[in-house]
Amino acid sequence: MGFCFNADDCIGCRACEIACKNENQTPSGINWRKVKKISSELFLSISCNHCENPECFRVCPQRAFTKRRDGIVEIEQSLCDGCQLCVTSCPYNAPQFDPETHKVSKCQMCYPRQDAGLLPTCVEACTTNALSIVNLDKFNNPDIVSSLPGFPDIQITRPSIVFFPQKIRKRYFLF
Amino acid sequence: MDDGIYRNTCPRNCYGTCGILSHVKNNKLVKVTGDPSHGFTKGSLCAKGYAYTQFVYNPHRLKYPMLQTPRGSGNWVRISWDDAYSIIGKKMIELQARYGSNLASGYNKYSGNLGLLHYATEGLFNSIGTHTKPVGNPCALTGLNALEYSFGKKFSAVPEDMTYSKMIVLWGANPAVTNVHQMKFIYEARRKGAILVVIDPVLTQTAKKADLYIQIKPGTDMWLALGVAKLLYENGYASNDFLNERGEGWNEYINFITHGITMQEVYEITGVPPEAIAELASLYYSIKPTATWAGLGIQRNSNGNDSIEAINSLVALSGNLTIPNAGLYFMHFDVETFPNKLLNLEGPPNELVLESRSVDISDYANNALSFDNPPLKLLWIASRNIFTQDQNLAEWKELFDQLELIVTVDMYLTKTAMQSDLVLPAATHFEEEDLNIGYWHYWISLNQKAIPAYYEAKSDLQIARELTRKLNQLSPGFSSFPHEKEPIDWIYEEITPEIKHLYGINSFEDLMTKAFHKKEKSIFPDDRQIFRFFTPNENNCVASKAPGLDSFTLLTPQSLLKIHSQYEWVSWLNTKKDESLIEISLAAAKKKGIADQDKVELYNESASIIGTARISNHLPDNIVLTHQAGSNPINQLIKNKDTEKPDSSTYFYDSIVRLRKWEGYNV
Repeated sequence: MGFCFNADDCIGCRACEIACKNENQTPSGINWRKVKKISSELFLSISCNHCENPECFRVCPQRAFTKRRDGIVEIEQSLCDGCQLCVTSCPYNAPQFDPETHKVSKCQMCYPRQDAGLLPTCVEACTTNALSIVNLDKFNNPDIVSSLPGFPDIQITRPSIVFFPQKIRKRYFLF
Repeated sequence: MDDGIYRNTCPRNCYGTCGILSHVKNNKLVKVTGDPSHGFTKGSLCAKGYAYTQFVYNPHRLKYPMLQTPRGSGNWVRISWDDAYSIIGKKMIELQARYGSNLASGYNKYSGNLGLLHYATEGLFNSIGTHTKPVGNPCALTGLNALEYSFGKKFSAVPEDMTYSKMIVLWGANPAVTNVHQMKFIYEARRKGAILVVIDPVLTQTAKKADLYIQIKPGTDMWLALGVAKLLYENGYASNDFLNERGEGWNEYINFITHGITMQEVYEITGVPPEAIAELASLYYSIKPTATWAGLGIQRNSNGNDSIEAINSLVALSGNLTIPNAGLYFMHFDVETFPNKLLNLEGPPNELVLESRSVDISDYANNALSFDNPPLKLLWIASRNIFTQDQNLAEWKELFDQLELIVTVDMYLTKTAMQSDLVLPAATHFEEEDLNIGYWHYWISLNQKAIPAYYEAKSDLQIARELTRKLNQLSPGFSSFPHEKEPIDWIYEEITPEIKHLYGINSFEDLMTKAFHKKEKSIFPDDRQIFRFFTPNENNCVASKAPGLDSFTLLTPQSLLKIHSQYEWVSWLNTKKDESLIEISLAAAKKKGIADQDKVELYNESASIIGTARISNHLPDNIVLTHQAGSNPINQLIKNKDTEKPDSSTYFYDSIVRLRKWEGYNV
């Protein structure tokens, strides 16, 4: 499974980001999903991308990360000792360090919801359907691209996300 | 409260009026989700809605009644509810004895919570007999009057129907920020091939997504609507469906668009390029059904009424008034079809003062200051943050100085609460029962009490009930408020047989299971109903003067993560760094020697605001744009205009300010 983010449909409303906080009750400052304004025209909504080659998984001395059969990368918090190697190695700022608990947490793609047949909460919250989950093995669309401006390097970790770019629009300004 | 899922409705002054499912565990709200049975919300909320656990359990929330002595000193003391009621009750009774009526007591309540039971504030004041009573509507009255003129009634089409429109024209509306759920229907229509057109002075978030964006000078919408109509008519594209017979004022309207205006005037006044107007006319002609949404911003200036009427007329002339999935959108006032028992509660007669004294809520301070027999002495403020939102703050300060008791009911210590004598902690909608009717969509939904009150917070209704008991204890018969009635009794009375029929509700209990949609479709009927065309008069043929070369029109739209000043305290939505941004045009930056991120000052005769400049590539030369609320709110610069009529919205967007680079010396 992976995310599909349609930059043309995203209106930057941040419902996905706050819905995630609501579902997981993460403290202020810990954002498993974040909407970033890349330019005046482009927003990116980014969480953990549940990479094919997750750097967090590779660098964690405690082996706190696991990758499920369906691709979801989990962290077992009880194993985390707060060394933050994952925080510095992840290109997408997905692992979030909480100075109060001295632990790292991150998006788990709402696996309890998915296991119960529900969509991840961020996807459910997206009013324009800009954010969805797809089976990347089967998903095929001639318009999809593997990255967008402002999205970090995808070469090393091979994130489980695809994008639809923005379209050019017609505009008349005051003459 | 039992663990489980409760039904709530977001009561904010917002298009959404969203159905919420509240997940409660151990008497605590643990999360919220959208109500899937609500056909507008469809199971999701906006970012603000998803932050409600933080809104409820917030360290900044008011917990107890507090008394401040002296007013404005910050010297707050916690008092009991009983003491609070005694202070208020004794003052009301003493004022009545002093002046022979309750006219010295008044309230200012607006849109902080639009639930029907929040009319308890109005009910409370009605229950003491004649008093000082706000009238009007600063937000939408001008547009509403224009709708009444055009349609002979308030009218707005069904938002979900936009899904089936072939073209959607958002005229001065920015749903990507102010009505995110509507974007769902707009995008659905678009996926089926519909074209999205946005007309706005600002390249808003919605405008950026439009297939066609047309920039326009603010306040000139009337001319664009007339220009497009002129092109349609003169090219023989006017719809003749019913207009000749049922369109009142058709001949005058047609005479005006053919002989009263030239396209050259339209281009010059609106600033819209000729090819854009031609393209818009061609789209209106070739694509049906077209939905047209006239946004609230259009009517917040002195041309507002004419602009809305002219847009209504263009929709009619283009043949989009009577066909399905087209129509005209503004907002509706279906709440008026309910009994509104609290709002309409009748109090005891006063033989000397037969009627309450009206004060225009759009110009409250000025109006109230003009009263001297008796002067206003007690002010009750609820669902309202005057010092962050209203205009004429100098007059407000003067009014506050003459008041002997100021009571503010709120959830937070707002700027207004900080200037009050007494602050009463209000319940959130999760802590009270209510009934909610939207003003955009046509859904009705219940609001259940889901969690116990936060510390000593109380609902407006509970406060009215308890204050009544105190008043009558101090002075028997002072208030006729039926304090024994429970919230559920008031809700029952709103669900009359007519309302049940209108919404297809069998029994009250049905409302516990889902939201209901009004059965009757709001499309302009095909029967004998008259449509009145825009009528030119000597006032509306004159373009308002653009501000002088050194002045700027101040636009203050809503922020994404706030509604007015609400949600300011919610750290999940924290937007502090955006708070003082002042968007200026490239031309203004060049002329004033301002670079991006420079400190700049906006000022006029009322106040001065320092902020951080953000140079916007596409902002018209003579506009500056900031958002509302924050620690140094922009409303300090907003003053009543000479052009403002008593029967109008507040003309927020007629505000003129000056701009200069801030060097640190001229504050």
